Amino acid sequence: MPQRYDAIVIGGGHNGLVSAAYLARAGLRTVVLERRHVLGGAAVTEEVFPGFRFSVFSYVVSLLRPEIIRELDLPSHGLDILPLDGTFTPVPEGMGRPAPKDGNGNPIGTGDYLWRVNDHGRTVRELRRWSKMDAEAYEEYGPLMVDMARFIKPILAIVPPDPASIDPRPLLPLGGLARSFQKLTERQQAVFVQLMTMSSYEFLDQWFETDPLKATMGASGIIGTFQGIKSPGTAYVLLHHYMGEIDGAFRAWGIPKGGTGGISNAIASAARANGAEIRTEAPVTRIQTRGGRATGVVLESGEELEADAVLSSVDVRRTFIDLMEPGSIDREFETEVRRFKFRGSSGKVNMALDALPSFTALPGEGEHLRGAMSISPSVDEMERAYDDAKYGRFSAKPYIDIVIPTLVDPSMAPPGKHVMSCFVQYAPYQLDPALGGWDRQREAFGDAVVARIAEFAPDLPSKILHRQVLTPLDIERTTGLTEGNIFQGELSLEQLFFSRPVPGWARFRTPVRDLWLCGSSTHPGGGIMGANGRIAALELLRAKRTRAS
Amino acid sequence: MSRWDVVIVGGGHNALVTAAYLARGGLRTLVLERRERVGGAADTTELAPGIRVPTLAHTVGRLRPAIQKDLGLSRHGLSLVAPEVRVFAPSADGSAVTLWSDVARTAEGLRGSSTHDADAYPAFDRRVRSLGRFLDDLGRSTPPDIKSPRLGDAISALRLGRSFKGLGREGSRTVLRVLPMAVADLVAESFESDALRAALAWRGVRFGSVGPWSAGTAANLLMDGAGNDGGAAGETVFAKGGPGALSAALAAAAREAGAEIRTGAEVTSITARDGRATGVVLGGGEEIEASGVVSGVDPKRTLVDLVDPVAVGPSLGWRAGNIRTPGVVAKVNLVLRRLPVFLAAGGDEALLRGRIVVAPGIDAMERAFDAAKYGRWSEQPIVEATIPSLADASLVEGARAETQVMSVIAQYAPYALRGHGAGRPPGDWEAARELLGDTVMRVLESVAPGIGKLVTHRQVLTPLDLERQYGLTGGHPLHAEAGLDQFFAWRPLLGHARYRLGLERLYLCGSGAHPGGGITGGPGQNAAREILSDLRRRDRG
Repeated sequence: MPQRYDAIVIGGGHNGLVSAAYLARAGLRTVVLERRHVLGGAAVTEEVFPGFRFSVFSYVVSLLRPEIIRELDLPSHGLDILPLDGTFTPVPEGMGRPAPKDGNGNPIGTGDYLWRVNDHGRTVRELRRWSKMDAEAYEEYGPLMVDMARFIKPILAIVPPDPASIDPRPLLPLGGLARSFQKLTERQQAVFVQLMTMSSYEFLDQWFETDPLKATMGASGIIGTFQGIKSPGTAYVLLHHYMGEIDGAFRAWGIPKGGTGGISNAIASAARANGAEIRTEAPVTRIQTRGGRATGVVLESGEELEADAVLSSVDVRRTFIDLMEPGSIDREFETEVRRFKFRGSSGKVNMALDALPSFTALPGEGEHLRGAMSISPSVDEMERAYDDAKYGRFSAKPYIDIVIPTLVDPSMAPPGKHVMSCFVQYAPYQLDPALGGWDRQREAFGDAVVARIAEFAPDLPSKILHRQVLTPLDIERTTGLTEGNIFQGELSLEQLFFSRPVPGWARFRTPVRDLWLCGSSTHPGGGIMGANGRIAALELLRAKRTRAS
Repeated sequence: MSRWDVVIVGGGHNALVTAAYLARGGLRTLVLERRERVGGAADTTELAPGIRVPTLAHTVGRLRPAIQKDLGLSRHGLSLVAPEVRVFAPSADGSAVTLWSDVARTAEGLRGSSTHDADAYPAFDRRVRSLGRFLDDLGRSTPPDIKSPRLGDAISALRLGRSFKGLGREGSRTVLRVLPMAVADLVAESFESDALRAALAWRGVRFGSVGPWSAGTAANLLMDGAGNDGGAAGETVFAKGGPGALSAALAAAAREAGAEIRTGAEVTSITARDGRATGVVLGGGEEIEASGVVSGVDPKRTLVDLVDPVAVGPSLGWRAGNIRTPGVVAKVNLVLRRLPVFLAAGGDEALLRGRIVVAPGIDAMERAFDAAKYGRWSEQPIVEATIPSLADASLVEGARAETQVMSVIAQYAPYALRGHGAGRPPGDWEAARELLGDTVMRVLESVAPGIGKLVTHRQVLTPLDLERQYGLTGGHPLHAEAGLDQFFAWRPLLGHARYRLGLERLYLCGSGAHPGGGITGGPGQNAAREILSDLRRRDRG
């Protein structure tokens, strides 16, 4: 007799766990089935090298929805987010301004840097060093973006309507949005439209002239997408990253204590406390259907589980192409699923360090190493990095976002040692066939990343004890994310809101009754946000109530 | 009481359309054109004695049929020629993609290289036409007023719009999914041949500072086919006597309706009092008052250069200054001793009567665009050439027998030039003009060897020339980039998309307004409708 549940959640990533926690909290007998031995999906902490623990994939957090933290009481389950302050952009000699000088008029290092911190006054002073105009514009820009993020944030909690439907009720939540849009000034409205349509570079270029500033700020517009900072549509991703909220402060990023796995473990603990069952090393190979309804799953072991509802937190392609019996889904829907674009564009290099690296622009240890270090010296270099990827090559001079978590959480490495996380773009999943595939290019890619950082911190190579290189192919193999796309599908305009993942199927339901999607393939997209898992669970519970009454 | 109800700045084709409709509506209308002849970018130049070429635009097939009919353009001398072939896209290896006005014929031709593509073509054509019908309805409507009613109204107006419903459930979902897409993705959904994909995708990037992988370029392709018989192939229609003949017919229609048109009359400023446009000042100092001022020039020039910044105000001034006008189009016009031989045409002259597009593949197009991003022109520009004298011998009537003219649109050549002409100041197109001409000739040589030896006259127009000679800011032929950020209710700017621009009684009727650029007359016709409703209401009500 197969075991029977009210709800089965496929995949123990953060969204799957969030869904399970909410369902269990509502009294549903819920089980989570995770393929790997460790929970969290792309939000995992693993001891990759003895004594060195890494947030292997996702490495910072800002987007996790505060209502989830509150409703699941995550702090009492061990969630502790340590603030990450500032972004340091080194600029090579000749590209920026003359090297900054110390009190005695001697150059501090070679090259220059742009260092923005959460202390607004300090950042404005730093910007003034580059451009008085930019410093002034920054005073205006920051509050404007906060207003924009405030305006757009409710959309994160909305179930997208189907614009082709004749039922007006799902459109109601948009009414509130429309009213708050009316309350914006004309200029704010115009800026909002620009954010939804422009490239992040062109958007920023309206305010700023400092090249490394535009490059670094623009970088958040391209993270996880196969787009350049001059590609239309990337300004939206800029805003997406502005929506992060930690303790009420917009645009604040943090590192979970114990790595991003710390978040997953806290959510899992909350789910278990509410009665959910969580099984690891339980890969699902098939979603069972009968008469167009999902009835349960089959595990790799052959074990069968039954449930009233199946929620899939894995991406839409894996769900419908890999886990469903071929030919069992609507052909038109299948075509749309196959159209959904993944196109992973990023890689990750994790390093175990003997000691901290030193940047020539600001030598030695210092506060600048405690935040993010952004290798984004110029707009053209960022764009050229994208050009490489368009034609199937990893960037010769990639954009890299570096953090050293051990400076805020020393428990991640043996005393005195460090771990360094390098998020790298671009690394296209589809390499030019002439390169012979990622398995042949992995180390060359890792070398390119180290060499790129060494342009700014030449002593880095001598500090590396171990290095883990993760290509998009590795990300796909380990986490199951199709084509290594960290957002379970590109955040491009045609794949957002009522078109995510399939036009007409953005409401977490699918053409297969009782099969739901709750992962990042759904609205509002990826990042450690949890909104997808929460809305999907609430939507399922609502449907259940309606059916019962 | 001033003599004029309306004074129109600029005499481009949209301005002439507006003038004709306003005059027909009973308004005393004056058109002021800086150059010696009207038409703007719809122009014909005499390149050599008795030999005329389309100066900038070379086809006129997107002109709204309703305008032709309303204004009786054929009665005013407009005669159109539509060849059977729409697009001939030759490759250097001697192969080619040919798109005919007849869909079945096109599909049959494609079968030689791909059965899949041949089968997919008719469905793609139907899809472009079906979405194009909706976009035509969108193009004919005045964008909603987002300021005072609610956004919900805009959405429901769209949602409830008959034509949106007419698309059906799948169609309406498709249009919302497809509009923000990259054209490369759109064509890849239907076709496997790179050459075919590129030939189709060209219309998504033509005149824009975008590559086929840029988001929003699918919308450009679909808009190009809206309101005309373009379909998947796109329109190819010539005006006898060149595009200038269209302008002449429009001017005749406007005059007949009672409008006055003055050429050689440069407007240097638009006057305003108490937030209201009151007239214009000409280069010679002459002041002309009018109840309304209509700008046919681009919105950036209008708000930044022509109106007093104090009247515009800092916020709108800042926004106007940020209207994107990144011109990337150059024009090369040639007089040829005789018809060149295209490798892929095998001497079949009928293939050369439409648009000859040299776009070797999607990646090649994207690489050509890459150069422009860094301020360089492409060494392998994408080229769209026509040989209008094949359809219209009047263009070469004063020349030796066998003479032909060729009109070549070349992309990408960025207005903001960096790097070329080493040692000269950046942006020095003067020094680079002929080098660019040589580059374009190399592309033509690759598909029509020996063409260079046939050239007797060559005219190269850089983006800077487009700006200087035609007043197009940034050398942008569409007055403002056609992108998702400058579309519909926010073209040219949110809050100013209803043909009313910044000041009371100041209007915009050119390509910078919805539904955008190209020889359609669309913005001009829509603007006239709004202006008439304002001025009639206020003057008579």
